[in-house]
Amino acid sequence: MRTVLLLLKKDILRFLSDKPAMLLTFILPAILILIFGEIFSGNGAQQSRIPVIFINESSSPLAKVIESKIDSSVALKPIRKYKITGNDSVFTFDEKTAKLYVEKGKYSTAVILPDDFFADTSATLHIKMFYDPKDQIEYSLIQGNLQEIIYSTIPQVFPVLMQKQWISQYGNDKAEKFRKSMAKTVNKYFNVSVDSIMKYTDASNTSLFLPSSENSSAGNDFFSKMIKIESKQVVGKEVGNPGATRMIGGWAIMFLLFSIVGASVSLFEEKQEGSLKRLLCMPVSKSDILVSKYFFTTVLGIIQLSVMFIFAWSVFNVDIFSNLLNLSLIILTSALAAVSFGMLITSFSKSLSQANGIATILILIMSAIGGSWFPVFLLPDWMQVISKTTITYWSVDGFLQVLWRHAPLSGIAINIVVLLGIAIIVNGIALYRFKRGNIF
Amino acid sequence: MIDLKNVFKSFDKTEALKGINLNIEDGSFFGLLGPNGAGKTTLLNILIGFIQADSGEILLDKKPIDFENLNYKKKFGYVPQEIALYNELSAEKNLEIFGGLYGLSGKKLSAQIDETLDLVGLSERRKDNIKTFSGGMKRRINIACSILHNPEIILCDEPTVGVDPQSRNAIFDMLQHLNIEKNKTIIYTTHYMEEAARLCSKMAIIDYGKIIAEGNLTELTNLLDKKESAKILKDKISIGKLEDLRKLGRVIELEYQFELTPHNEFSKLSLLFTRLEELGIPDDNIEISRATLEDVFLHLTGRRLRD
Repeated sequence: MRTVLLLLKKDILRFLSDKPAMLLTFILPAILILIFGEIFSGNGAQQSRIPVIFINESSSPLAKVIESKIDSSVALKPIRKYKITGNDSVFTFDEKTAKLYVEKGKYSTAVILPDDFFADTSATLHIKMFYDPKDQIEYSLIQGNLQEIIYSTIPQVFPVLMQKQWISQYGNDKAEKFRKSMAKTVNKYFNVSVDSIMKYTDASNTSLFLPSSENSSAGNDFFSKMIKIESKQVVGKEVGNPGATRMIGGWAIMFLLFSIVGASVSLFEEKQEGSLKRLLCMPVSKSDILVSKYFFTTVLGIIQLSVMFIFAWSVFNVDIFSNLLNLSLIILTSALAAVSFGMLITSFSKSLSQANGIATILILIMSAIGGSWFPVFLLPDWMQVISKTTITYWSVDGFLQVLWRHAPLSGIAINIVVLLGIAIIVNGIALYRFKRGNIF
Repeated sequence: MIDLKNVFKSFDKTEALKGINLNIEDGSFFGLLGPNGAGKTTLLNILIGFIQADSGEILLDKKPIDFENLNYKKKFGYVPQEIALYNELSAEKNLEIFGGLYGLSGKKLSAQIDETLDLVGLSERRKDNIKTFSGGMKRRINIACSILHNPEIILCDEPTVGVDPQSRNAIFDMLQHLNIEKNKTIIYTTHYMEEAARLCSKMAIIDYGKIIAEGNLTELTNLLDKKESAKILKDKISIGKLEDLRKLGRVIELEYQFELTPHNEFSKLSLLFTRLEELGIPDDNIEISRATLEDVFLHLTGRRLRD
């Protein structure tokens, strides 16, 4: 027993002296739990609302009800206006601009209640939608929330609106007579009280316009058949394998970061082995060593990403060739940014285990908040701001722009500029640290 | 010829070198001896330009060494204490890389690789990965990578640490060959005094960052009053006799023995044996040993080298 206790003591002491291991064991799970908790806690106050372009061209009261429900939705954030760069004026979305913005990827969905949303002569609701299902979860959430709003509203207001139509077409008396007759018929065959049916179809009962789960329980299925949603996918229709196309970028950049960091921190292994010192005692400068390491890791990164995309093409039919030049640019800039990250970790760390520990923590956090694992829109607003400071975010977005949207160079210019900017700034810091740090 | 003049080096608050003055002649096999932490490796690191001295002068052929001049480094071959090789590559590939970095290429590089592998006795294993080599073989390739470019000066930082006696002898033979046959200057750090005694034509003993003695083996042992000492088993001497023993010379208590370094009046060993016999210590319990560098170090510092 004493032997076991001593061995136990040894393990505890070794673990406590290994700070990276402690961080990986306790801090990283806590951070990831925080991120996942923020996403899946269902805390509406913190949850970010998904922006959706919303245009209401209808004068129908029903359209007003739907608009007010979208306004008060905890899941959807209606966007009605837009700005043009270099112009302070604010413009209101129309159908054409809304479609353009969805095509460009500024928003994933536009919902339009057109002026014929609920025509007096029609018993069908007309809704238009432009959407870009680049993100399946986001698209499903928007669809689900819109359906909930529409279908929960229609049963409340539809009888009232029908009653109004009867009155306008047949006069008050005939309409009232019909209402009573209908109530009796429903009472006879469905055993629903006449009073409740009369109340339900009373055009003067404005309380029916208020949201109520009780009111919405009747007739959803019936009414859903009366809705004509004219939805149009404006982007990604030609994508062969939407699922694989969506996920390949996120996983590619995560594995790229791991392999690049592994190659960068090999400087520590060389230091431990003594080969780094041997090199420095030869006609080899520190700059030579760093340049060769940068070159190697960058080429490794480019090859690794290329292999991953070729694999995705060959196995999942992901189209990598129709926008090959722009894909290559995102691969190159992502690799450069990843290399700078690896070098920064190396330059700041004091040992191999520390470098590996810190890198693992940062890569997993960047993957979680940068869009590798799940869409960024699921994160709270404050986390989305942090997300945009990560290499992962700009790479994943760049790959999606290229593979999903087949974006031209102008469409990925921001991604290229940001990734290059990260590479330049982070490399600058890393080189400064290499001069002052202890790796050499 | 290498000259070090008043070289100082500190790390934070620790003074590693405190005014080192040395003169290392061309073609010499120069030993730098001292216990761990004495400053040997720091001094070697300064000589190869890996770190810079805080102050002092380091001259090569009476000219200050320009450590920024990478070509200058070709004059030196540094054999690190670690096995500084790429284990996943073959011996030949390691030599190609290091030789290439020293500016060798083509036929010249191939010829140098052949010659060096012959010298270290590993031509047969040239295609094998380093990780399949024994410790001694790795040490030999470690040296090969440092001498491949035919340097004028070879700096060896304890190159036989952890090596079996057979490989150690092979390394000694190789270094002596380079020194004698190829006229290379060799600077060799060690805390094994027997290695220094066997190899070095001249040596300096360093302790706490200072050179405390310098010279060849004879010159260093001459620093001792006596060249011999007598070791007597402890259980042969009672407490009363120990006091008598102290009257004959300086007595140091070892683990199983007392070591007696006799006074001048007992310079003749026969006289010493007679006195010991009078104390009841028979001849067969006395072991006479000649003075070693260990004794010199003990004499100079009051400590054993490996304390």
